[in-house]
Amino acid sequence: MSIQTTAPKSSSSRFSSFRPSPRFVRGVDLAGQWAAPIMIVVVLLVAAIFTPAFYLPTNLKTVGIQIAVLGIVAVGQTLVLLARSIDLSVSAVLALGAVIVVQTEAGNPLWISFIQAFAVAGVIGFANGLLITKRQVPPFVATFGMLVFIQGARLAYTKGQASGTVPDILRLISFEQVGPIPAALIVWLIVNAIVLFFLLRTRYGRWIYAVGGNPSAARYAGIRVDAVVIAVHTVCSLLAMLGGLLLSGYIGYVDLRLGSDYNLNSIASAIVGGTTFTGGRGNLFGTAAGVALLILLLNLVVVLGLPIHWQYAMQGVVLVLAVALQGFRQFLLSR
Amino acid sequence: MAVTVESAREQFQSRPQRWTKYIRNNASILLIYGIILLVIGVAAVSNENFRSPSNLMNILRQSIIVGLIAIGQSVVVLTGGMDMSVAQVARIVGLTIATIFAAKGSDPALIVPLILLGLLIGTLFGSFTGILITQTHANPFIITFGIASILRGVNLAISTTPIRGIPKPYLQIYEAKIGIIPINVIVMALIWILAYLLTTRTRTGRALYAVGGSERVARLSAIRYNRTVVLAYIFSAFCAATAGLFLLARTGVGDPSAAEGMDFQSIVAVALGGISLYGGKGSIVGTLGGGLLLATLSNVFNLLQVNIYYQQLFLGLIVLITVAAYRSPRST
Repeated sequence: MSIQTTAPKSSSSRFSSFRPSPRFVRGVDLAGQWAAPIMIVVVLLVAAIFTPAFYLPTNLKTVGIQIAVLGIVAVGQTLVLLARSIDLSVSAVLALGAVIVVQTEAGNPLWISFIQAFAVAGVIGFANGLLITKRQVPPFVATFGMLVFIQGARLAYTKGQASGTVPDILRLISFEQVGPIPAALIVWLIVNAIVLFFLLRTRYGRWIYAVGGNPSAARYAGIRVDAVVIAVHTVCSLLAMLGGLLLSGYIGYVDLRLGSDYNLNSIASAIVGGTTFTGGRGNLFGTAAGVALLILLLNLVVVLGLPIHWQYAMQGVVLVLAVALQGFRQFLLSR
Repeated sequence: MAVTVESAREQFQSRPQRWTKYIRNNASILLIYGIILLVIGVAAVSNENFRSPSNLMNILRQSIIVGLIAIGQSVVVLTGGMDMSVAQVARIVGLTIATIFAAKGSDPALIVPLILLGLLIGTLFGSFTGILITQTHANPFIITFGIASILRGVNLAISTTPIRGIPKPYLQIYEAKIGIIPINVIVMALIWILAYLLTTRTRTGRALYAVGGSERVARLSAIRYNRTVVLAYIFSAFCAATAGLFLLARTGVGDPSAAEGMDFQSIVAVALGGISLYGGKGSIVGTLGGGLLLATLSNVFNLLQVNIYYQQLFLGLIVLITVAAYRSPRST
C-alpha cells in the first residue's frame, strides 16, 4: 500500500490517511474469493502428508455425508445472507425436524410427519421474515429470539431426553451409496442445482441479489423487497429442515445438542466462500467450497486424534479469519 | 446556568405537560420497572416464601451475574455492536483462576493477585476483540460469535470437569456483607454508577451514542471512532470478567459450563431495558431493570418448581414478544 502525501480532497480521506493501492485492493478481493478453494487444496495436501488415514473410504464417506448436511443448510444461509439478512435459527429448525420425524411412534404414517416437519419449518421461516420486514427487528436478533423459543419448545416437548428411532427411509438416504457417492451427497447436488438455476437464470435470483445489494434501490426498481426477504427466510428454514432430516438419518437418534453447531458453521462456510454480510455479493460455488473446507478441517481434528473440543476452536478460527477477511474486503471495495 | 431555549420552554410549560413529556421520553424504562413491580407484587402476595427478606436479597444477588454482563453489553450495544463472547470470557476467567489455585494448593495469599489477573485477562480479550473489529471492519456480532467458539474450545481444553481447590476466603466475595448488603451487590452498583456516569456525563459517553447513531457522521464530527469502539468492548469484557469472578465464588469450583447462555440473556436484558439494538439510543438505567426482571422471573420459577424446560420456553416467549414489540429507530 502507498500513502498519499498530498492533501487529499475526497471526504473519506479526511479521517483516515489509509490509501491502499489498487493492486492491494485487488489482491484482497481475489483472496476473499479464492481463499476457500486454495485452502481446500492445502488441507488435502497436509492430510495426505500427515494423516493418510484421512483417505480411508469409510472416512471419506463420513466427510461426504457431513458435507451434504452442512451444505444443504449453508445453501439456505447463503440465500439469506445474499438478501442482507442472517438466520440464526437454522440449528433449532434442524433439531426440531429430527424430533418431529423421529417421534412418529404415535402411529402417524411417515409422509404425514414429513409434511408436518416441513410445514413447521415453513411457518418458522415465514415468522422470521415477518419479524424482520414488518417489525424491522435486526435479523440476528429476530432469528436468535426464534432460536431460543424453538429450543424451549423442543425441550418442553421432549423433556430433554434422547429418544426415538429413525425411519428407515431416512437411514437409507443417509447411508446408501449410489456407486461410490453417498446418496446424501446427491441430494446436496440436486439442491445446489435447483437453487443455482433460480439464482442465475430467473428473475427471482436477480431480485435476491438486488435486495441485498441495495434495498432502497431495489424498492424503487419495483421489487417487493419484503416479499423477497420473507421468501428467502422461508426457503432457508425449509432447507435447514431437510438438512435436519438427513442428519437424524445419519446419526440415528435425537439428543439435546443435535445440530447446535450448524448456525455458526453454515454462516462460516458461506462467508469463507466469499459471501459478504452486507449482501448482494457471493455465490453457491463459493459456499460449496467453504462447506468442504470447514468439514475437512473439522474431520482433520478427529483423524489427527485431537480432543474433540478443538473442533470448537477450529470453527471459531475459521469464522473469525473469514469474517475479518470479508469485512476488510468489503471495506476496501466500498471506498 | 445559562437560559437555553429548552429550559425557557420548559418554564412556560404547565406541570402536567412536563410530566407527559417525561413519561413519553422514558416510556421503556418506566415500563420495565412497572413490570418488575408487578411481577414482584403478584409473587409476594401469592407466595410467602418469595416475600421473605432473605429471598428478596437472594434475587438481588442472583441478578448480579446477568446484571453485570448486561451493563457491559449495553455499552457495546449503544455503539451499534454486540458482544457474543461475554459468557466465554467470564468462563475463561473463572477457569484460569481455579486452575492456578488448584496448582498452588489453594493459597489464600494468591486471592488478590488472581483477581487482578482475572480482570486483566478480561481487559486483554476486550481490547483484542475491539481492535479486531475496528481494524477489519468486520461484523461485530459474527466476529464475537467466532471468538466465543474459539474460547469455548480453549475452555474445554483447560478442563472438562469442574476444578476444585478454591480457598475458603475467596468464597467470601460472594457471601460477605457490609451491613445487610452483600459486597457483590455493592460492586455491581459501583460499576453501574460508573457506566451511568460514563454514558451520560462524559465526552466518551456522547461519543458512544454518536458512534452507534452513525459511524460516518461520528467520524465526520471528529469523534475518534476506533478508540470509542475499542473502549466499549474493553468495558464489556471487564464487566464479564467481574461476573466470572463472582460466579467462581458462587459455585466454589471452576466450572467449564459456567455462565452458559449468558451472552444471549444479557442481550435480552439490554433489549428489555429499551436500548435500541441498532445502537445509539436508550439508557443504561433500563438495563439494570432488564437484568433484575430476568433474575426475578427465574427465582419465581424456581419457587414454583417449574420444570427447567418450561422455563426455557417461557424465556423464548419473552424474547419473541420483546423482539416483536420492537420499533425501529429509523426506517431503512
